[in-house]
Amino acid sequence: MATTEIHRYLSVGERRIALDPEGYLVTLDDWTPEVASALAQEEGRTLTEEHWEVIAVLRDFYARFEHVPAMRPLVKAVGLTLGPEKGCSLHLMKLFPDSPAKVAARLAGLPKPTHCL
Amino acid sequence: MEPQAASRDDLLVILRHSPHGTSWLRDGLDAALVAAAFGQTVSLLFQGDGVLALLRGQGSGALGQKGTAATLEMLSLYDIDALFVDAEALARLGFAANELMLPTDSVDAARTAALLASHRQVLVF
Amino acid sequence: MILHILNRAPGTSLVYREALAGMGPEDRLLLIEDGVNGALPSQVRHFEPVSNRLFALREDLASRGLVGRCDETVQVVDIDGFVELTEEADKTVSWF
Repeated sequence: MATTEIHRYLSVGERRIALDPEGYLVTLDDWTPEVASALAQEEGRTLTEEHWEVIAVLRDFYARFEHVPAMRPLVKAVGLTLGPEKGCSLHLMKLFPDSPAKVAARLAGLPKPTHCL
Repeated sequence: MEPQAASRDDLLVILRHSPHGTSWLRDGLDAALVAAAFGQTVSLLFQGDGVLALLRGQGSGALGQKGTAATLEMLSLYDIDALFVDAEALARLGFAANELMLPTDSVDAARTAALLASHRQVLVF
Repeated sequence: MILHILNRAPGTSLVYREALAGMGPEDRLLLIEDGVNGALPSQVRHFEPVSNRLFALREDLASRGLVGRCDETVQVVDIDGFVELTEEADKTVSWF
């Protein structure tokens, strides 16, 4: 769930972006690709074309269904949009290690998925 | 245990409330999504006024509350494809199965009872 | 066999219709809380399809002054009887 509790701020250029205790955006409208890059940089990640296309799938998913997907539906949605080779958990684990549904949702500026391990 | 026990479906979620008036429908769908996200085989039965959840052309509430139609459109991404609808309720409310937003299987009382029997667990919302 | 549990009165809620539709030939129906109103002779016709498999919870009848006022076809059970019915069933389904 998106929380309204501001835990800290992330500096992105001139802007200060409010983050909740788990590092998700407090105001979802704050998201820009620059914010995503800054969030990734904090985690020691550089976003590649393969990251960006998954982030786009996630943002489309949220816009359409008003819901942040758990791992299974994320894999399926990626497969439907980007092709079966990318629609597998291994690919997503490689891009967003540990917990792809949570990590990718954070970078995509969405609330934390609620139906996730 | 009978031999077919292993092939039984895991969970049947029965939805018997219409959208917007209460949170029962949303809560039932949430339960179904959580179970599916954890790898359970989930079927949905729309019963009584719950069949209204399947009507086309729904929007958000007067105060901007999220509707449930978008959640229904997402079900197949959670591999929830077994959708059953109470044929009698649909007829009583004056609708036909081809007016619904998703492909469903119409069931009478006998098939309803069979559905309850064939799932390992049944939750009513 | 499924034990179906109904806690709404037939006079105030139509959920009993869906409960009956969901009942297989061996299934049992237990009336609890306001559901026990359905055990009255004036109401029990709603449960005619399952008349030999209809139970009502004594504690809920007692708190409503309905013990001894049930239709004779209704089998009255106490909490221990409720537990036994649950044990005999493959699963329970609650209608509310």
